[in-house]
Amino acid sequence: MVQKSGTKQLIREIKRHRSVYVLLAVPFVYYIIFKYIPIFNGQIAFKDYMALDGVLGSSWIGFEHFRTFINSYYFVELLRNTLMYSFGKLIFSLPLAIILAIAIYESNRPHLRKIVQTLAYLPHFLSWVIMYGILLALLAPGDGILNDIIKMFGGKPIDFLTNTDAFPWIVILSDAWKEMGWSAIIFIAALMGIDPSLFEAALVEGANSWQRVRYITLPSIRPVILIVVLLRLGTILDAGFNQIFMLYSTPVLSVADIIDTWVYRQGLLEFQFGLATAVGLFKGVIGMFLILGSNRLVKRFGGNPLF
Amino acid sequence: MKRTCTVCIALVALLSLVSLPLFSQGTADQAKASGPTTIELWYGAAITEAGPPPADWVGFQIIKDKLNIDLKLTALPSNESDQDVKVQAAAAANNLPDLFMVRRDVLTRLVPQGLVAPVDDLYEKMPIRTAKHYDEVSRSHARFNGKTYGLADPGSINKNEGLLIRKDWLDKLGLSVPKTTDELLAVMRAFTFNDPDGNGKHDTYGYGAFQEINNYEAWPGRRLEPIFGAFGVDGTWNMTASNAGLNILKPEFFDAMSLLKQMADEGIIDPNWLAYKKDDFRAAWKQGRFGIMREQNAAFAAQANYAPFDKNFPNGEWIIIDPPTGPKGHASIGPYTAGFRIYAISAKAVKEGKKDKIAALLEWMASDEGYYLLGWGVEGVNYTKDANGIPVAANLPNPDLAFSAPGGQTVTQLRNMVFYNGDIELYARYPKYITATSKKEMSALDVLRVMQTKKWTPAVGSDTLPIPNADLKRFYEQGLSEFITGKRSLTRDNWNKWIDEFKSLGGQDWNDKGVAFAKENNLLN
Repeated sequence: MVQKSGTKQLIREIKRHRSVYVLLAVPFVYYIIFKYIPIFNGQIAFKDYMALDGVLGSSWIGFEHFRTFINSYYFVELLRNTLMYSFGKLIFSLPLAIILAIAIYESNRPHLRKIVQTLAYLPHFLSWVIMYGILLALLAPGDGILNDIIKMFGGKPIDFLTNTDAFPWIVILSDAWKEMGWSAIIFIAALMGIDPSLFEAALVEGANSWQRVRYITLPSIRPVILIVVLLRLGTILDAGFNQIFMLYSTPVLSVADIIDTWVYRQGLLEFQFGLATAVGLFKGVIGMFLILGSNRLVKRFGGNPLF
Repeated sequence: MKRTCTVCIALVALLSLVSLPLFSQGTADQAKASGPTTIELWYGAAITEAGPPPADWVGFQIIKDKLNIDLKLTALPSNESDQDVKVQAAAAANNLPDLFMVRRDVLTRLVPQGLVAPVDDLYEKMPIRTAKHYDEVSRSHARFNGKTYGLADPGSINKNEGLLIRKDWLDKLGLSVPKTTDELLAVMRAFTFNDPDGNGKHDTYGYGAFQEINNYEAWPGRRLEPIFGAFGVDGTWNMTASNAGLNILKPEFFDAMSLLKQMADEGIIDPNWLAYKKDDFRAAWKQGRFGIMREQNAAFAAQANYAPFDKNFPNGEWIIIDPPTGPKGHASIGPYTAGFRIYAISAKAVKEGKKDKIAALLEWMASDEGYYLLGWGVEGVNYTKDANGIPVAANLPNPDLAFSAPGGQTVTQLRNMVFYNGDIELYARYPKYITATSKKEMSALDVLRVMQTKKWTPAVGSDTLPIPNADLKRFYEQGLSEFITGKRSLTRDNWNKWIDEFKSLGGQDWNDKGVAFAKENNLLN
């Protein structure tokens, strides 16, 4: 009897909130198909995958692929480069996005705000292929605009894109430039949620702009910042394949090769899908532990954890 | 509410699982006795910037009517790495198309997996095509353990590149054509520092290049082979019986590297060369950035390709020169192989009984009807024939549909499956023309013929030799480039240490396997 009334209630609930359920269904189906079902195929990380034998028919080889990855000649360098770019982007891009969001929010000139917002979002929609063309025009040692300026002041041109010292900065700063505007959206949304009476009270108390930012704005969006950092930690071993793949060249491989570009060459181009999957799994596990660990830390220090 | 959500989630999950077959790319398209056989073909587009043949292309209907084949076409990406990824991803899912173009490196990985079928029995089923396309060199190109696993069709024309120099710059500076590496260096310096274009700016360089590498032209790649050829170490491999092996292990390689390093240090090679992609390089010579380069005949002299240079420099003139001679008398534009495009048949297609239909399709393509239809389109619509029977884009009712015009290019996308570099093709492909601005008579075919007379290094089969693993390949390329950029100091001592490390990482093994393979397959000269 209870069961029957429960079902009826369920149907009623679905009918009442049908638009919400329809909205939920699309991403849900997406995640099932593209994120959860492939987990089953993840077993090829432990198999000598033969396409004709399929996922189930291929023979088990234990941790062989993981050993191949960890014992690869460039493993330490790949890990170092990957972490360097991931943390570098986190350290540079995130504060820039926060600063941009605050600047846009604080601006009392609506037209200027809209123009800045549009200009800041625009690079996000350009592919890295186009970005490479722009960077080449800016940074080429022969005729790049920046090098023309350096030469104009009597300096020696710098081969930014093929110099191992300059390349990491180009990667980090170009990523910040491209993604800063887009990343700022979430912070602008958080800023919109701050109670205006807090600012009004601060004004009455004589707080200047910097003090309002320091004592109201930043503490108010701290939970969002923490969540963004936590989510980024989960993908810390994804250092931006598309960007690096477009920008790197042989002279800078020592500072440019990351786990994903190695997987592309060693896994996909060499038909070692088991190895590619093993590395994917390795990254996923590290990411999971990082999320769990940092979530715990956030809890311990009284913040708003992710879960 | 919690319970409601749980049930709904379960329902959606169930639905998504049930609907999975809708998303799967199964090719359970069995050949039915009554209906046409579907042949799925992944082809390499002849003109990458043009679209695929339109849905109403007359070829589809002819193939259906005459061969009872329903042809499904998919263009492969133009970039080789992207092609490899697409083919290998399909292979990993055991979902290869029936017939597909594939690079040899990839084929070497698909054969052990049992994903491609031997084609030895097809040659006699395609007598016309076999006579025109497949000689013994072609058959051995895709042979593994005694069986041929791909139909290696004639690809790019041999020796179709040359060393070019700006004659107008030489004349302006009162220089003669360089014949030795020393003279070449002197000309490069003059082109860099003596303002050959007379614009009063330091905006020109001696040599232009970019990194264009493949398995038989390893780093720094084909654009710099004339430099390495001067030391007898052009190409990845030395293919002579007396000195076979990896060129990098030859003492002369260090000398060639030293010369390249000198070019870089003196700033007489365009400093952008390490950052350039192919299009950047080609835009650069058209903008007059450098005066010496190795370029392909059509990329240099075909009407559309030469036009920007002609417009920018009506008095500019490139000439093809002999490769410079090195200190020991060596000279070469670079290594040449027999260029092939391999089409493979999936084991799945054979299992589905499509092999004979594929043979029929390929044989029809090689017939006169297929050859002209795929090569130039429909006579009277996309081309006409001149007095010599050569297809030309003239006297057409709608010039926009000419085989060379954007509107007509789509119907010739499969032409690489029928072309075999015969005279008709070359005359049609590279017609003589008068340049728009300078009114010069140009012909990419004449350019080709001159390029072919220059000194090249025979290396047929060097593109079939074993390839190193990705880590060794990276060590090789990165190490060499670091010597040139100065990250590593290019001294004999450092070089020898680096070579020792290269050998211990697997370089010696790669060398030994390559030599053994070359001997076993009679590839050495």
